[in-house]
Amino acid sequence: MKIEDILKQVNDIFIDTLDNDQVIITEATTANDVEEWDSLTHIQLVVAIEKHFKIRFTSKEIQSWNNVGEMLTCIQEKGV
Amino acid sequence: MLFNSFEFVYFFVAFFILYWFVTNKDLKLQNLLLLVAGYIFYAWSDWRFLSYLIGISALNYFLGIYIEKTLNPKHKQWLLYVGLVQGIGGLAFFKYFNFFITSFKDAFHLIGINLNTLTLNIALPLGISFFTFRTISYVLDVHNEKIKATKNWVVFFTYVSFFPSILSGPIDRAKNLIPQLENKRELDYHKGIDGFFLIIWGLFKKLVIADNCGVITNVVFKNYLELPSSTLILNSFLYTIQLYADFSGYSDMAIGISRLMGFSISKNFDFPFFAQNIAEFWRKWHISLTNWLTDYVFTPLSIAFRDYGSWGLTAAIIFNFTIIGIWHGANWTYVLFGFLHGCYFIPLILTGNLNKKKKLAKDELLPSFREFFNMLGTFTLFMISLIIFRSESISNAIEYLNRIFSPSILSIPKFRGEENTTAIISLFFIAIFFIVEWKYRFNDFVFNGISKRGLSIQIVNILFIVLALYFFSGSMKSYIYFNF
Repeated sequence: MKIEDILKQVNDIFIDTLDNDQVIITEATTANDVEEWDSLTHIQLVVAIEKHFKIRFTSKEIQSWNNVGEMLTCIQEKGV
Repeated sequence: MLFNSFEFVYFFVAFFILYWFVTNKDLKLQNLLLLVAGYIFYAWSDWRFLSYLIGISALNYFLGIYIEKTLNPKHKQWLLYVGLVQGIGGLAFFKYFNFFITSFKDAFHLIGINLNTLTLNIALPLGISFFTFRTISYVLDVHNEKIKATKNWVVFFTYVSFFPSILSGPIDRAKNLIPQLENKRELDYHKGIDGFFLIIWGLFKKLVIADNCGVITNVVFKNYLELPSSTLILNSFLYTIQLYADFSGYSDMAIGISRLMGFSISKNFDFPFFAQNIAEFWRKWHISLTNWLTDYVFTPLSIAFRDYGSWGLTAAIIFNFTIIGIWHGANWTYVLFGFLHGCYFIPLILTGNLNKKKKLAKDELLPSFREFFNMLGTFTLFMISLIIFRSESISNAIEYLNRIFSPSILSIPKFRGEENTTAIISLFFIAIFFIVEWKYRFNDFVFNGISKRGLSIQIVNILFIVLALYFFSGSMKSYIYFNF
């Protein structure tokens, strides 16, 4: 899948999980840019993304992302 | 050396002149001055552990460099373990050794075996919880490639011993503090004036509010068996305010002093008593500690437990908060305090309210009834937990709570003799303190931006604080968080 397509789907997951339909994410977005995205919701986002794409991240991968772009690349590398 | 002592004023004035007017042309020299000042400041309070501070700085400095250099992941891991064992081991030995031994002994006693074990008379190095957390996060961040190891030993040693925050935090990360140490600082007029106001506001919170409340709470927590319920409730309220004013007052002074030196260090409080639920409260209370634990304890745990849904999250939260409790020291009261806060999250998790952030309405003079009710509820939960936190033992805490739920709840709170006057003075200044905090609730700090306002406003505020400090300061006491 292209990164842009993954981004679109991930954006929908953000909207659902964070319960806020105003959320727009880009590759450069970080947790600081999204009000509801904190340590508690982060883990819920990860779980939702794993379920949606039927993939599994390692703990190291989850903790290495510095922005949405790095997370998308990681999803793509899983063969999505 | 306490910030509110004349020694510190002389020390800081001399330091300030050398820092900005003698060494300012040469960054290396200025950092060296900062390092030496840090060691003088630390040794002044307790010279015995200066060698420990220098020793762990040296160890972690080299660990950082070698963790980065080593290409073999296994070796990297082992070097990280050395840092973790030193950090956690140091804390375990100095803070918890006797606690482990006596708890172990008590457990065996329960099953009928009496052990004759030794307990050691161990002195606690001041600030150990604060500077150890700095070194632990440093080696972890270098290992996880979040930061680069610094090759400049003066910078690293100064990072560990940065004097405004070494004794009581905020716990700054390397990512924030080290770049500021590596680059030239400027003395900014507005930053300086705001910093100065933050210092005197911190002094006001400590001397006028915390120390006056302390006069009462010290007596009442000793004699709670003889006092009516209403007095005990008022006393718990005063202790809650005292703890906040004492600790956040110190943080304000540390941040203000750092600003006068051209640094921006982490925020530690964000008007926590205006939080509308316990999750929000912990985003506003002792922020540098909770952020630290979130990154290094809660996040890895919640990732590991993520397959267990709400229960996994609950377990991670309870574990994390129990660690926060134990961080305060070796007593079951702290363990229970942390555990209780973890449990406070359960209703939020189960009702799915964890994600919903309730923001206070902007531009309103007063909170709405609902907002006020939420704040009061959160405050009360915190206040109850502090009864456990402050009591000598869990059984004392239970007795205290039992006495609260008695018919004397309807009586008028009364203290003994002079404490009644102190209580009235305290309540008066607490009211002013709440008004000021409410006014600045959307700012980073109280008095933010006052440097840009008229001189007359600045003078009126200074005058009020100085007069309050002069006439109403309580008897001088050390800071509560120096013990942690």
